[in-house]
Amino acid sequence: MRIDEHPVLTFTRGKKVTFYFDGKKIEGYEGEPIAAALHAAGVKVLRHSHKKNRPRGFYCAIGNCSSCLMVVDGVPNVRVCVEKLREGMQVETQKGRGDLIVED
Amino acid sequence: MRNTADVVVIGGGVHGCSIAYHLAQKGIKNVVLLEKNYLASGGTGRSAAGIRHQFGTEINIRLSATSIKMMENLAGELDYPHGIDLMQGGYMMLAYTESQLDQFKKNAEMQNSLMNAGTKVLSVDEIVRITPALNTEGLVGASFNKRDGHVDPFHVTQAYADAAKRLGVEINTRTEVVDIITEGNRVTGVVTGKGEVISTPAVVNAAGPHGAIIGKMVGIDIPLYPERHQILVTEPLEMFLPCMVISFTHGTYFKQTPHGSLLLGVGDPEHEVKDFNQESTWQFLEDVARKITYHMPALKNVRIVRQWAGLYDITPDSQAILGKTDIEGFYLDVGWSGHGLQLGPVVGKLMAQVIAGEKPDIDISVMSIDRFKTGALIPEPACV
Amino acid sequence: MLKTDIAIIGAGPAGLNAAISAAAMGAKVLLLDRDDRAGGQLIKQTHKFFGSRELHASLRGIDIASLLLARVREFDNIDFRLGATVLGYYEDGVITAEYRGNFLKIKADRYVIATGASEKILPFPNNDLPGVYGAGAVQTLTNVYGVLPGKRVIMVGSGNIGLIVSYQLLQAGVQVAGIVEAAPGIGGYLVHAAKIRRAGVPIYTSHTIKEAYGDSSVQGAVIWQLDEKWQPLNGTEKDIEADVICIAVGLTPLTELLWQAGCQMKYVPQLGGHVNLRDENLMTSVPGIYVAGDVSGVEEASAAMLEGKLAGLAAAKSLGYSIENYDELWQQAISQLDGLRSGPAGEKIRSGLKMLVR
Repeated sequence: MRIDEHPVLTFTRGKKVTFYFDGKKIEGYEGEPIAAALHAAGVKVLRHSHKKNRPRGFYCAIGNCSSCLMVVDGVPNVRVCVEKLREGMQVETQKGRGDLIVED
Repeated sequence: MRNTADVVVIGGGVHGCSIAYHLAQKGIKNVVLLEKNYLASGGTGRSAAGIRHQFGTEINIRLSATSIKMMENLAGELDYPHGIDLMQGGYMMLAYTESQLDQFKKNAEMQNSLMNAGTKVLSVDEIVRITPALNTEGLVGASFNKRDGHVDPFHVTQAYADAAKRLGVEINTRTEVVDIITEGNRVTGVVTGKGEVISTPAVVNAAGPHGAIIGKMVGIDIPLYPERHQILVTEPLEMFLPCMVISFTHGTYFKQTPHGSLLLGVGDPEHEVKDFNQESTWQFLEDVARKITYHMPALKNVRIVRQWAGLYDITPDSQAILGKTDIEGFYLDVGWSGHGLQLGPVVGKLMAQVIAGEKPDIDISVMSIDRFKTGALIPEPACV
Repeated sequence: MLKTDIAIIGAGPAGLNAAISAAAMGAKVLLLDRDDRAGGQLIKQTHKFFGSRELHASLRGIDIASLLLARVREFDNIDFRLGATVLGYYEDGVITAEYRGNFLKIKADRYVIATGASEKILPFPNNDLPGVYGAGAVQTLTNVYGVLPGKRVIMVGSGNIGLIVSYQLLQAGVQVAGIVEAAPGIGGYLVHAAKIRRAGVPIYTSHTIKEAYGDSSVQGAVIWQLDEKWQPLNGTEKDIEADVICIAVGLTPLTELLWQAGCQMKYVPQLGGHVNLRDENLMTSVPGIYVAGDVSGVEEASAAMLEGKLAGLAAAKSLGYSIENYDELWQQAISQLDGLRSGPAGEKIRSGLKMLVR
């Protein structure tokens, strides 16, 4: 659900990139927030709450409220409303709190 | 507020609330507890709240083993619906020298022979099996007890406070004690900051780092001073750290709460202020980041979300001051020097016994204030 | 340790102006913002501003941001860092920041806190469903990134933000199912409300949301009427289908740094929550810490710009910097601010600010 024509605004978008949402290939524009790219692709549920497993989306979209935490390239608790999209990113619905990353 | 009481307890931390509950449970129901801020607002709520059998003196071993048993049944006993988040995943004390490990072995023998504690001394391989992410560099072993762990200090305090209230205890928060009235050599009343006077024959000083100020109100010099300690809190993660970890060598300790956050602490008596300042410092942030990622390098990937500070109430031997004083009706439960939270349950019970004129289940006379006159200090080797 | 004369936290309308006016007086300025774009919330404001030409009237927020940014870039004595999240203010007067993966320690002789405000939430059952979005989020999505928030929106709140965002959604081709307002009257300017009405959007005054519903995201909401005591009336429920519920019930100041610094704070509902006491120079109770913009009371961007100018001037002056026409600049900003806050529309702000004067 992108706006293609707007009476007042023109949108300068980055180059088209592909990324992955829960393993599924999606297109978006480089430099826009991951949440915007997901929303444009119809994805609203970004994570599930810790205790009651309720679906959660974004709320403030300025990196303030922590409603939009997802796992990005293996890193949990990333605020996707402010994290910029890059080519090839692996974005996953966060279920629970996320795991400690232990490098070998 | 009541204007007479059988006992006035000063301090709404875990010790004050536990004492109030245990007094009421004995039938001494006209108990008034006065707290300057809110319940658990001082050292209790700011504690990392580790619990451990692993002490090195007879008195602390007897106290802690009894207290842990009490905590295992606490929510049930106090009919507290929320639970106290007791996590018994163990407490791992890291040894970096052979002499430290020898001391841990001696301590473990004492813990096991006195209280059948079940403490083990682990090899490095055994350590890694429990905490795979730990850096083993320089490590020679550890002392470990799987019934140790940690607890939620707010819940423990609230559980006692709620149970005490049900038994008739009056709890007044936001109420500061400004004076204690004495006649001759005995306590007769307490004056609050709101100007109220409560007549009482007994006052318990459980005011933590403010304990020395309370002592002065009856002319007693209590040798304790406040010392700031700080804690960092991380983002929540799925459980990966079953036990609390501590290194006396580095002054470091850390745990993962049931919420998933890690609490990271470093004791730094050399640099920390010794007054009532509870502000956080950026120096601590840097220091902890460096030291804790040494112990567990993977933590470098974890975000810090908060930081807080609290006060230890430090005595000359870093052990508590308990029991009667030269002023009749004035009792002490202060000076825990950073390990008092876990002993709140048992010490509350013992203090109630002392105040009721009974022989306490565990002889706490070695912790009397008189030891600073006689020089019989308590040589506890297992404290930060 | 990074040292500077004046550190300004937040590069929105207030912070950008503070930086410009302080730098024009010769002060060495460090300007920090956690976002990757300058302008704060200006960048999502696609409507034309009211007022006089000095206040950038008839320009859109997004163009004002570009103008201010260009002006900032003209100064060699402004060190402007985007992507720098300030983490804390410490007792030794040091602030720390995360900047592109690094930990910065900064010691400035003066601070201007211009951190702005964040969206309030509204409690109702299922308010955590995806599709319940803050008005700022809807603006960001629609106006900045050109992504539609949904097909049909219920707007909650008829203040200026609620009205303007409704209009912007209509412009972008989104249906607005209705505006729900708990108060008996419309909160924002009637000129905005009239545009909405002309587009056929119903405004439900004395109504609130009873609950939202939907499986994994919003599918609609039940609204109901409130009586004169703001209590819901059974039997007045209306079911409205929508895939977005946009919450425009106001902003609350982002005051964390002020609390950490120990500034004296006061609860002033007219200004959005707890805000700091301040003197006529916009200095808080902590010497050397100044404020500007929504952090010290939620108003409009024009007021934030003027407060930014004043705070920048005052902070630079306190360090001994000067500019020939200081008094003139000062008076001009003061009278423009008075103008903005005059009349019945400014009554709420005026009564709130009265409570803050030290």
